[in-house]
Amino acid sequence: MPERRQRLAGNEVRLIENPGLREIKVEFHAAQELDMNKKLTSMLVIAAMFLGLNTNTAIAKDIFYYLGYGVVQVVDGDTDAIVADIPVNGWIRESAFTADRKFLYVVTKRHLIHKIDLAEKQVVSTIDTGGAGWDRFIYGFDLAPDGKSAFVNLLSRTTQKGEVVVTPPMLAQIDLQDGRIMRSIEMPWGSTALVSVKNSTNIYVIGKDIVKVDVSGKEMKVIGSYPMFEKKWNILPLWDNTMENGGVFMANYYTPELMGLVSIDTNSGEITDTPLEGAPVFAYSVMSSPDKKKVYAVMDELIVIDLESRSYEHVVPIPEGTNYAINISSDGKKIYVSGGGSTTTVFDAESLKPISVLQMESDGMDFRRLTF
Amino acid sequence: MKNKRPIQALNEKARAIQSLAEGEKKSVEALQDGPPAMPLGCTTIFDTGWETNPRPTYPIGNCQSSAKDFHGCAGDCWWPAQVPDGLTNHEDFDKQCPNVARDWRVMKYD
Repeated sequence: MPERRQRLAGNEVRLIENPGLREIKVEFHAAQELDMNKKLTSMLVIAAMFLGLNTNTAIAKDIFYYLGYGVVQVVDGDTDAIVADIPVNGWIRESAFTADRKFLYVVTKRHLIHKIDLAEKQVVSTIDTGGAGWDRFIYGFDLAPDGKSAFVNLLSRTTQKGEVVVTPPMLAQIDLQDGRIMRSIEMPWGSTALVSVKNSTNIYVIGKDIVKVDVSGKEMKVIGSYPMFEKKWNILPLWDNTMENGGVFMANYYTPELMGLVSIDTNSGEITDTPLEGAPVFAYSVMSSPDKKKVYAVMDELIVIDLESRSYEHVVPIPEGTNYAINISSDGKKIYVSGGGSTTTVFDAESLKPISVLQMESDGMDFRRLTF
Repeated sequence: MKNKRPIQALNEKARAIQSLAEGEKKSVEALQDGPPAMPLGCTTIFDTGWETNPRPTYPIGNCQSSAKDFHGCAGDCWWPAQVPDGLTNHEDFDKQCPNVARDWRVMKYD
């Protein structure tokens, strides 16, 4: 990680930038004995001002977003308290933060795209991908680098002369102002998710296989694929924590014999398969620890996987039952399991004991994190 | 069986149905016979077996509790025969019952 050192009043200040986590951390090291309890906070602010930083970004702070039914709930990562409710129309399935971390896009009912202003805590615009007699459902969503458009995997249907017409899935780039399809390419049946790689010059569409699409030119074109179906993989890639996971998309899969992890490095485009030893556990979603040594998985239990030995290290039943989603504090000390039902359980990552249980307003689908 | 006479329309209603069927072409195909290879429309994704829990010990079965998975199954029409389908007939089902464990008493759908 890039690091800068500066001296302030005889004391050393280290500025550490972590591009993967998009966080800036300032560490203050006193040259003499100081009453740190009283002075640390003020000195950090002074250090941040000295370095020309906004004091609000000087210390890593986590904000979590619970993606529920008719609501997005905001959870403070320091106190684990629900601090705000943001009403939205519909049940949420897809989500993406803007690069400047000011907005969150959520897809509800598989066809409404809401833009949420995170400072104002309200929906500021909504578009519908359907229209002109067509239903167009979104199974896979990510923002394009231009900030004005998005890549979506669309499943479309209409009726013609009383007959139902369903067209093959398509990867499309749509205008976020009006939902207009700017360009598209047909995808295989079963496509359900997408991942932007190589600065969104490529889109990987995940279905029975992973189809690689070059979107850097005027026309989209398929440039390759990564086989999964022939290897008997069964995959449910509905929880995308790529941003929080250091730029690596990760999902678990099953064969008749084992559970494995498939990961996509969004910087290089490399796809990695990690088959795991032992009888498979059951999990909806997975996420790496910040040091990339462990993977946490969740369904009825919180599962800790050791990546070096590729084995299950701990399987801890969750008292509240099934959860769909998992997330981790940016310092790796707390694990959040959420979604499915209306609880969010916070675990201590070291002891694997529950710290608290949040009762959410609605059932939920995902639990996302922004780190400032 | 070969001596059995084919079914015949005996009354007006049966003859009407028979006339509708005349010239009818194949309209249903087995999924494995060729594209499309996945169910369409409401069940666009349907990875059967995902929640058939293979473990021999607790918890045996599916999600714990089933209420936790109700909306997940409804919204995307994973189980349209058992729960409201969120893509066609019950798009706003979540407004009636956003928290199944709390609101299940008001649950109502066809």
